[in-house]
Amino acid sequence: MSLKISRRSVLTAGAAISATLAAPSILRAASHGKLAGKEIRILTWSDNTGLAVLENIAKPFEELTGARVIADRTGSTSEMVAKLRAAGDRPQYDIITLAGVGAVELAGDGLLAKPDLNKLPNLEDVDPRFRTGADGFGIGYLLWTGGLIYNTKTFKEPPKSYAEMWDAAYKNRLFLPPATWTDALDTIFATDIFLGGDGTNSEAAFAKLAELRDSVLTFGENPAQLSELFRSDALDIGGVYAPAFYAKELADPANSNMGATYDVDEGFFADLMYTIMPKSKPGDDDAVHAFLDFTLDAKVQGVMAEAVLNGPVNQKAVMSEAAKASPFIIKPEQMGEKAIIHDKAFIAEVRETWIQKYTTTLS
Amino acid sequence: MSIALSRNRMLAFSLPALIAILPFLGACFYIFRFSISGDKASIDGYSIKAYLDLMTPFFGRSVWVTIKLAFIATIAAMLMAVPLAFLLTSLKSPLARRILTVTILLPLILNLLVQAYGWILLLGPSGVLNSALRGMGIIERPIFLLFNETGVLLGLIQTSLPLAVFPIVSSVRGLSQEHLEAASSLGASQWRIFFDVTVPLLRPGIVGAASIVFAFNASAFAIPLLLGGRRVQMLGVAIRDMISPMFNWSGAAAAGMILISLTLLILVFSSWLVRVTSERTRG
Amino acid sequence: MRVGLLPNEGGGTYRFTMLFLATIGILISSLPVIVVTIMSFSASDNTGFPPTEFSLRWYADVIALFVNEDTSSAQSVVDSTLTSILVAVIVMVISTLVCIPLAYALVRGQRKIREGMELLFTLPLVFPLVILGIAFLLIAESLRVEIGIWRIVIPHLALVLPFVLRNCIGAMNGISIELEEAAISLGASPLRAIWDVVIPLMRAGILAGLIFALIISFNEFTITFFMYTIDVSTLPIWMYSRTVSSLDPSTLALSVFIIVADIVLIMLVDKLIAGRANLF
Repeated sequence: MSLKISRRSVLTAGAAISATLAAPSILRAASHGKLAGKEIRILTWSDNTGLAVLENIAKPFEELTGARVIADRTGSTSEMVAKLRAAGDRPQYDIITLAGVGAVELAGDGLLAKPDLNKLPNLEDVDPRFRTGADGFGIGYLLWTGGLIYNTKTFKEPPKSYAEMWDAAYKNRLFLPPATWTDALDTIFATDIFLGGDGTNSEAAFAKLAELRDSVLTFGENPAQLSELFRSDALDIGGVYAPAFYAKELADPANSNMGATYDVDEGFFADLMYTIMPKSKPGDDDAVHAFLDFTLDAKVQGVMAEAVLNGPVNQKAVMSEAAKASPFIIKPEQMGEKAIIHDKAFIAEVRETWIQKYTTTLS
Repeated sequence: MSIALSRNRMLAFSLPALIAILPFLGACFYIFRFSISGDKASIDGYSIKAYLDLMTPFFGRSVWVTIKLAFIATIAAMLMAVPLAFLLTSLKSPLARRILTVTILLPLILNLLVQAYGWILLLGPSGVLNSALRGMGIIERPIFLLFNETGVLLGLIQTSLPLAVFPIVSSVRGLSQEHLEAASSLGASQWRIFFDVTVPLLRPGIVGAASIVFAFNASAFAIPLLLGGRRVQMLGVAIRDMISPMFNWSGAAAAGMILISLTLLILVFSSWLVRVTSERTRG
Repeated sequence: MRVGLLPNEGGGTYRFTMLFLATIGILISSLPVIVVTIMSFSASDNTGFPPTEFSLRWYADVIALFVNEDTSSAQSVVDSTLTSILVAVIVMVISTLVCIPLAYALVRGQRKIREGMELLFTLPLVFPLVILGIAFLLIAESLRVEIGIWRIVIPHLALVLPFVLRNCIGAMNGISIELEEAAISLGASPLRAIWDVVIPLMRAGILAGLIFALIISFNEFTITFFMYTIDVSTLPIWMYSRTVSSLDPSTLALSVFIIVADIVLIMLVDKLIAGRANLF
C-alpha cells in the first residue's frame, strides 16, 4: 500500500514541476477548451512517425480543445496488435494508429468499435477511396508508401527498376526488408512483377529472390541502423522500403548518402493506414471522435505528410510549396496506375506462408 | 555434533524463494498449456499440432544454429572469464578493481541497440577496422564481421561475459590457499598449478557459470536481430516472429518448450559429465 | 602470504596467456561503450567516427529533456526513471532476502535436493524472454486486478533469482562448516551462528547478487515491453522509443547518462551494504 502512495506522490510531484514549467498557453487552453478535463490515450509507433503524431497531432489538439492526450509509442503494428489482443476487452487505449493489416486483424477478432461517421465532419474532404476500411472499423489516416532506397554516391540517377538489386556490383551492399514487415510482401510482389507476372506468382518470385541470398548485407530490422550504414557508404541499394523513416536524411543527401524513388517501372507500394477505436475504450466518446476527426484536418494532414513523408488522404491537405514539390510525398491524385495497393484478403491468406518462405529462402 | 538441517528448517529457508519464483512457474505452466492448445492464439482444447508443425528442416537448422552458437560463445566467454576473474581478484588497487568491475558490467548496462551501433562504427563494412586495414593496403574488399554468425558470436560473448566472470570470482575468493601454497612450494610450474590444482578446485564455479552463460545465449534474440542482421536464424528470433506478427502463439510456446528442454538436457548432461570425470580424477 | 592466481612477474607463457585473454575480454566489453562515449561528445550533427570536433551540446540537450519534461507523453522520462529505480530496488531487496536462506539451505542440505533446486532456479534464464513476456502479460490481463508496479516487479524477480542465487551459493560454498560448529560449541544458537558467522562471510557474494539484481532489473527491456502500461513504464522502454526514431548523438549522450546512473546506483549499494569490505 505504502508503495502505491509513494508512487502517487512521485507522480504529483512530477506533475507539479512540469505544470510550473509548462507554457501558459496550454494552461489557458486546458481551463477553457471545450474538452477540458477529458483524457485520451493513444497508441502509436515508436519510430519517428510516432514522434510526429505526438508533435503534430496530439499537441495541437491539446491546445485547441484542452483535452489531455497521453501517447504511448510502442513498437510496430504487429506489436500493437499483440498488446491489444492480450488485453482483450480491457484495453488501456482509446485510439490506435496502425498499418492496414493490423486493423483488419483486430476487426476480425471483434475487438474494435465502429466509429460514428457523423461525428467526423473532416471525412468529407477525404478521398472516397481512403475514407474507411477494415469493414468500417478503420478510418483512413495516411498512406504508407514504399519504393527503392539508394545510395546517392553510387547512383547519379535514381534506379528505374527493382531489378537493379540483382546487379552483381551491389553484392554485399544490398539490404532487404525483414520478413515480418509488409514491405517484405511488397518485395515479393515487386520481384514477380519485374519477372512479368502480376505479383501473386510467389513461386517465380522466390526462385529469383533466392539469388540474392548471398548478396544481402542485412535485413533492415532497424531503420536507424540502415541510415548509419548508408552514411558510412556501406550500402548501395535496397527495397521495398519506406522513405517515411528518413525525412531528415533524404533532405540532406550530402551527409546521409540517401536517396529514395517511387518512379520505378514496376510501380511503388501504398498501404492505407488506419485509426481505430477499441471496444469498451476507457475514454470519453466525444473526445475520442474529436481527436479522430482532428487527424483528418486539412492542416494536420499536410503537416504530417511533410514530417513523415506519408501521403495525405485529405484532398485539401494544406502543404507548403516544398512539400507539394517533394518527390517523396505521394498525393492522392498521384495514386494512379503506378501505385500498387494489395488486396487485403489475398494478403491475409498468403501472409504467414510468405513470411516463412521469405525467411527460409533468404537466410 | 552436526549442523544437519532439519527438514522443517530446510523448508522454512527455501519457502520465501519458492514463493518468489511461483508466478514464474505459473507462467511456465501457462506456456506449456499453450503449446498443446488446439487454437493458435488462445488456449482452447488440446492438440500436439503446434509441435508437429515445427518438424521442418528449417526449424531443425534453427535449433542447430542456436545450440552451435550458444556453445561456441560459452566456450569463448569462459576462456576470457577465468583470466578476468583471476585479474580481478589479484588487483591490489581498489580503484583499479572498481574500474575493472564496472567495465565488465558495461555490456549489461548499455542499451543493446546503442551497443550494436558502436560495433557498426568499429567493425562495420566501412568501420574503423576496415578503413584502417584498407588504408594500410592489407585488404581490398571489406571483411564482413557483422550481420553474420561472427557478429552474433561477438554479441553473445559480450553480453554473457559479465554473467560468467562474477560466479568465478566468488569461487576464486573461496579457494583454499593451502592447496595453492603446497603446489607452489613444491616448485610446480604455473601451468601445472593451473591445470592440476586451480581448475579442479574451481570446477563447480566454472560449470555453474558456463551453464548460466549457455542458457542465456541459447535464448538470445536481440543480438541475432541487431548484429546478425536477421540473417542468422536463432530460435529466439523464430519465436519472436511467431509471437508477432504471425500470432502463432501456440507455435511459439511449443518452440519455447523445445528450446528449454534441449537446454536443460544439455545442462544436466554437462553437470553429470563433470561429476563423473571429477570423481574419476579424484580416484 | 596469499598465492596469487596471476603472478605479478615471471610466469612466462602462463602470465602472458592469461593477461592476453583478459585484455580481449576487457576490449569486447568496453569497446562499443568507448566509441559511443566519444561520439556523444561530437560537435557535428552526423555520426561520422571519429568526430573532428568536440562539444557538450548533446549533453545540454539531455539536460533540457529532463528539465522541460512534457507530461503529455506516456513516456515521461523523469517518471520512467523514478519507476525504474523503484522497481529495481524492490527487486533487489526481495530477491536477496529470499536467496540468502535458500543458498544456505542448499549448501548445507542434501546434494540431490540442491541439484534439483539449482536447476529449477536456472529456468528463468533458459526461457526465451519474448515468450515469457507474452505469458506474463496474458496471465496479468486475465487476472483482472490492478497491481500497479508489481506488474513489472514480479517478472523481474523471476529473472534475477538465478543470478542472485548463484552468487549467494558461490559465496556460501567457501564457508566451511567448522566455523559454524565452533560458534555453536561456544553457545550460540544455530540461527545466531548463521547471522553472526555465515552472513558476514557471504557478504561479497550477497553484494554481487544485489548488484546483478539491480542492474538487470534497471535495464530489463524485453519482458517489461509486454508488461508496461501507460501509467507504469520504465526507462529502457522510454529509451527504446527514442533509439528507434533516431540514433543521433543526443541518444548517445543519453546512453552515457544511463551508464552513469547505473554506476552511481552500483556505488550506492556498494557503500550501503559493504562498508569497508566491499565487492570491488
